[in-house]
Amino acid sequence: MARGGENRGRLLLIILIITSLFLITLDLRGVSLISGLRTGTQSALSPVQSVGATILTPVRNFFVDVIYLGRTRSEMEQLRTENGELLSQLRERRSIDAQLEQLQGALDLAGKAEFKVLSARVISQGATTSFTQTITIDAGSRNGIKPNMTVINSYGLIGVVKTVYTNSALISLASDPSFRIGVRVAGSQQIGILSGQGTRKGVLQLLDNQSTIKVGDILLARGSVNNQPFVPGVPVGEVTSVDNAAGAVTQTADVRFFANFSSLGIVSVVLAAPDIDPRDSLVPPKPLPTPIPTVTVFVTPSQSPSPNSTGTE
Amino acid sequence: MSTRKISLTALLFILVYILQEAFITQLRIAGGGFSLFLIFALLWAALSSPNMGALTGFTAGFLIDLSQSTAGAFGQWTLVLIIVGFGISYFGLGYENVRLNPFTITFLVTVSVVVARVVYLLLSLLLGEDLGTFSSIATSLLVGLLWSAAVVPIAMPVVARAYDFINDTRSRL
Repeated sequence: MARGGENRGRLLLIILIITSLFLITLDLRGVSLISGLRTGTQSALSPVQSVGATILTPVRNFFVDVIYLGRTRSEMEQLRTENGELLSQLRERRSIDAQLEQLQGALDLAGKAEFKVLSARVISQGATTSFTQTITIDAGSRNGIKPNMTVINSYGLIGVVKTVYTNSALISLASDPSFRIGVRVAGSQQIGILSGQGTRKGVLQLLDNQSTIKVGDILLARGSVNNQPFVPGVPVGEVTSVDNAAGAVTQTADVRFFANFSSLGIVSVVLAAPDIDPRDSLVPPKPLPTPIPTVTVFVTPSQSPSPNSTGTE
Repeated sequence: MSTRKISLTALLFILVYILQEAFITQLRIAGGGFSLFLIFALLWAALSSPNMGALTGFTAGFLIDLSQSTAGAFGQWTLVLIIVGFGISYFGLGYENVRLNPFTITFLVTVSVVVARVVYLLLSLLLGEDLGTFSSIATSLLVGLLWSAAVVPIAMPVVARAYDFINDTRSRL
């Protein structure tokens, strides 16, 4: 009897493993039933995720406040004098202002390039079960979003629409290790391939061995055929260090993405772009140096020194 | 296994899955956070027999594969969790003391979370997927380990009580 039970157990294990291998094979062969399962699940989950986002936003804001407590201590001292109702209104207002600022920035960038965009709220970030970098937004095919559309925010490129569901869409971030984008250096025609590294840092490989780049160079998206997946001219990042290895065929460099992928609230999906390449018009302005106050002291020596004026006061 | 047990277990798994997908993923916890659903599934498997552990792993893996945030091939997490679910329950069953000691089961589940992710990583490599730099993977695994070590002792009594209620057993965890 015991042996029979053991055999049944082994058989169950083998059946389960074969089933999972069968599923992997079906997925790798591109069977639509498998992708349909994921689409169906996401369609069912997206309303719950939207509710979750609404509920969790105040909680998240609270933790953000706690994290930045040290920096805003002086501000907090002033706020303590105000009543609780006003404080609560301020917290709500801060969240709305931040979203508004992100939205305004993205619309400014899109307006400059004459992109037709659709702004959406980030309702979920990639799970720990996956090593990929993704976000989910609360707009989908119902809003006109299609796969391979460029996603931007006020700083520049965020990523590309990977999968579209009815009410939501999955965005592959530019920081994802599998992300590759053709870029060109602003002000010149040097081109290269920028790869995500799982962090805010990316690696640029120039395509021409005669080209040279330097720290501080701005990278812009080179654009794709029919503007998909990349519209041209979108700011991507800035070169932070250049690798000048003697044996390398082409030059490589470390790049810092303009967008901060860990604090995404509102993003914009580029629905349509004009036929004219905006060239370097979207390059972000260099930050102005902070003026350092100087004090000039004019000393006029007296013609007839008196005995009392020899020492300093 | 009675219809009551199957339906209650399925309901519980779906509830935790929704909690993970709709709420936990939005918390933006430092270092990528943790997967409550993965921890729950492995705790459940640790309390079960090896056959049930494998079945639990299959169900949990299938649900994770359904998630839109899972980038790998469909069935990859199913395969990983069948192996790890079977392994954790087999290991626990062989050593009765391990099953009944909260500290040991915390250790076992925490390590299993990391093992599951490493096995997933290896499968991804075999399937030719891009995984990123070694440092980002190592950081992700380390942070996942620390979060799991913090979450497992909190989740364990709840999961053990739910398991006892559904299976009419009485564990000493």
